[in-house]
Amino acid sequence: MIMDFIDGPFWYFSLIVFFSGIIWNMGSIVFALSKVDLSVSRGSAVSGAIKTIFTRFAADKGMAPHIRLQIIAGYMFHLGLFALLFFAAPHILFLEEHFLGFGWTPMPHWAFIIASEFAFLGLLILWLHRILNPVSRLISTADDHIASILTFVVMLTGCLALLESFTALRLLHRFSVELFLIYFPFSRLMHAFTFIPSRAFTGAWFGRRGISS
Amino acid sequence: MSDRLERGLNTLRAQIDTKVKSYFSSCVHCGICAEACLFYTETQDPRYTPIYKTQPLHKVWQEEYTFWGKIGKKLGLTKSFTEADLANWEELVYDGCSMCGRCSMVCPVGIDVAYIIRKVKEGLAAADYSPEGLVGAAQRAVEIGSPMGIRLKALKAQIKHVEADTGLKIPMDVEGADYMALLSSMEIINFPEYIEALARIFKQAGVSWTLCSEAFEATNSGLQIGNSKIAKLLLERVVAGAEKLKVKNVISPECGHAYAAIRWDGPNWLGKPYNFKVVHILELLDELKKSGHLKTSGKETARLTFHDPCQIVRRGGVEAQPRHLLESVAENFVEMTDHGRMNWCCGGGGGVSANERADELKLKAFNRKKAQLDELNVETIVTACANCRLVMEEGLEENEMDIPIIGLSELLVEYLVEDK
Amino acid sequence: MSKCTWIFFRQVYFFISLLIFLCLLLAVDATASEPATSKVNSPGSELWMNVRKNMATGKVTSQVKSVDSNVLINSYAQRWTQFRMTQLINYGLIVLLAVFSIIFLFYVIRGRVKLSGGLSGHMVHRFTDYERVLHWVLAIVFLFLATTGLILLFGRPIFIPLLGHEIFSVFASASKEGHNLFGPIFLVSLILMLFSFVRRNIYARGDLTWLLRGGGIIGKSHVTGGFFNMGEKTWYWIVILIGLAISASGLILVSPNLGQSRIIMELSHVIHSIGAIILIAVSMGHMYLGTKGTEGTLESMKTGYVDIKWAEEHHDRWAKECHDNNRLISAEDYAKLQGKIIQNAKVSNAMEENK
Repeated sequence: MIMDFIDGPFWYFSLIVFFSGIIWNMGSIVFALSKVDLSVSRGSAVSGAIKTIFTRFAADKGMAPHIRLQIIAGYMFHLGLFALLFFAAPHILFLEEHFLGFGWTPMPHWAFIIASEFAFLGLLILWLHRILNPVSRLISTADDHIASILTFVVMLTGCLALLESFTALRLLHRFSVELFLIYFPFSRLMHAFTFIPSRAFTGAWFGRRGISS
Repeated sequence: MSDRLERGLNTLRAQIDTKVKSYFSSCVHCGICAEACLFYTETQDPRYTPIYKTQPLHKVWQEEYTFWGKIGKKLGLTKSFTEADLANWEELVYDGCSMCGRCSMVCPVGIDVAYIIRKVKEGLAAADYSPEGLVGAAQRAVEIGSPMGIRLKALKAQIKHVEADTGLKIPMDVEGADYMALLSSMEIINFPEYIEALARIFKQAGVSWTLCSEAFEATNSGLQIGNSKIAKLLLERVVAGAEKLKVKNVISPECGHAYAAIRWDGPNWLGKPYNFKVVHILELLDELKKSGHLKTSGKETARLTFHDPCQIVRRGGVEAQPRHLLESVAENFVEMTDHGRMNWCCGGGGGVSANERADELKLKAFNRKKAQLDELNVETIVTACANCRLVMEEGLEENEMDIPIIGLSELLVEYLVEDK
Repeated sequence: MSKCTWIFFRQVYFFISLLIFLCLLLAVDATASEPATSKVNSPGSELWMNVRKNMATGKVTSQVKSVDSNVLINSYAQRWTQFRMTQLINYGLIVLLAVFSIIFLFYVIRGRVKLSGGLSGHMVHRFTDYERVLHWVLAIVFLFLATTGLILLFGRPIFIPLLGHEIFSVFASASKEGHNLFGPIFLVSLILMLFSFVRRNIYARGDLTWLLRGGGIIGKSHVTGGFFNMGEKTWYWIVILIGLAISASGLILVSPNLGQSRIIMELSHVIHSIGAIILIAVSMGHMYLGTKGTEGTLESMKTGYVDIKWAEEHHDRWAKECHDNNRLISAEDYAKLQGKIIQNAKVSNAMEENK
């Protein structure tokens, strides 16, 4: 009974919440009427916006030595998670069967192991840094911790089910993914999408002043 | 709910726009902005973390725009916004932030933190949680016309001195001039050399210019305190002056926030574009230099560096011009490790220097500049902001460092080729 | 620990328990319909008796040339199975329970080791952010590996009787996958730990005195110590050396196709499990002493700062160094560094007046 619920209605419910939440959130940012800046511009806002979306992937040279741990762990986690999400064989198979109808070459098993180790270590470091560093401890909220732990649980249950021979473990992973999807649009996990308009707004602001940001 | 709390809350609510929503919903609380803030690096007090300074607005956003915030508010689970949320942030926002905007350059998700802090100021000012020094300055600016209480009489006296020194006439209220120059109070009182530099350079370059007796003050205390109404009122005086004299251009002086106010924020406060152009003095000088109207000979041999005023360079976009100008008159120009758009603030911007309460903190924050200067071992510091100049002079004196500071226009005029 | 953090961790604990509970439910649900298999005697027992006889006299050959290809029955393996089933599991359990009881008894008898002069409020910096992050990464990964490892080791005597075969198989599979995956992370953090702490953990003069005085835990005499005392240094080397042995043997076990013989695999398993039990046992002592056991110790791994009185009591030579270099931080400055002080009291007062 629980099996059917997780594989069926709850799965669809979580998908609906996830996608409608994202569309709503992003729509309210992207389609909101923004005020027109009346000052005479010196550079292009559009090219500034596009540039900043990409330049912020790299840290400023002078800053890097002070935030090395966050940079390294941040990249480890995000790249690892990205690889796991889109290039793990079971995920591709799942997408192919249920959504897309086509698949792509998955990464080999050893790459999967390395990617997941990067992701786990990165996330652990980031979360521990969050609670151990006075700055991030002061500014972090319950939401930040819940989001971190939920992500960790999703990755963990996924890896525990790696043998792919126990329905219970597969369902556990799926259930945690569903919780994650439902939580996503109401939390800071939204940064996975909102970082783009944020960078674009800032890039445009600086762009029209002729400053590279 | 007290009256001032309500005023503060309502103002904060009105500040939330699309950008703010996007910024708040993308912040992952990584704390990287702290490392970019001189008030944090010099005190190591985590409360000076830039994004933490935006907490009052964040709280309002959370209560009104987020799912959990709305639910929490309905069920009475979240602590509601109190006067302490404003009161405890006054010191952080006015004393512990110079609006330098360095944090906005390093945020990995691209949040313009300074933009939000500016909005927080708006709420604090509406609730009367702003420092006495700034309140006084804003009041003087509105009533007398200058935050330092300088009247036209004082300006005229200074002009007389300059005219006696140079033998040049300082044009006043000349209708139809190409350029109308503005001044900051600090220049009038502390650095009249600037007026002299303008007179000599414009004479030589054949620029038709004027001062305006009704609008000579460039600074804008409304921007510093975070009161858009006052800011607009002060700006309107400049616009009225320029329109009355029918000038084609207005020159923003060597003052950081004045440039931000007149060049970038002004038209948005007015709600319409100007019918004149605004240029920064450095932009104009660079243009004159390039077009050959401004000729210099000889070069300064002393080892010198340029301190980038945040509002002119990082948030104003005048980055290349001062370097072109410096290279033409200085042999031994060296850059600080973090310079240009990533330069460190002097510690006194954004109204901090007008707020006596923040003096101790301001000097502490100056240690960042001191460290930068210690690395270079320069004989002269050049800058382009009277406020930076005063703050740094004070900091250097406190640290017993004997390095003269000079405005870029003044340095230029020393090497000006003049017809005798 | 502040009340807020405490509540938060309680919620995490609740959440994880809920997940485990759900996992159990799912396992029951998933296996409920499968029929139980019945036991059947091996049909070829006579044949294998003969093979074993010939093996002993070296009469078995094989066309396939690879590691152990002519071994049809490995009699070492039976000794290994014997060792695992009777000695390792039983003694392992006894050792862990015994150490736990000793620590508990110690706590009952000796109680918390309090600082003789109490806390002073003056703090000194001890560990950087990086060092603390590293410690907790290692700690969390270690706890995870210990839990999953013990589930696998004590399946037969404890968990199968408790949960039944079907449910245990789910746990075993999950534990095995998780254990294998987290192993390399343990090794990486162990190596980072080796580099960042090794200089301070080399034995020096004065360490022997510490040992002779029993580390100050027994009795009430004052013992001498540098940045790390003798006990901490020993714990460090136990972690590094046994940790490396466990990691190396673990890597051999996790990649069976590197050309190693079965005997190497069996030996690796023996090293891996004995090492792990020793490390888990000693770590219980470390966890006790770091938290409940001694006053003021946990602070160093939470905030990176310790009370100077704590330093004087446990690391007097290092404390003297701190005094000499003026590294003391007042209680007020410490609170500032932790973001706990609202700087301008005037502002708050003004607010009070306005009420």
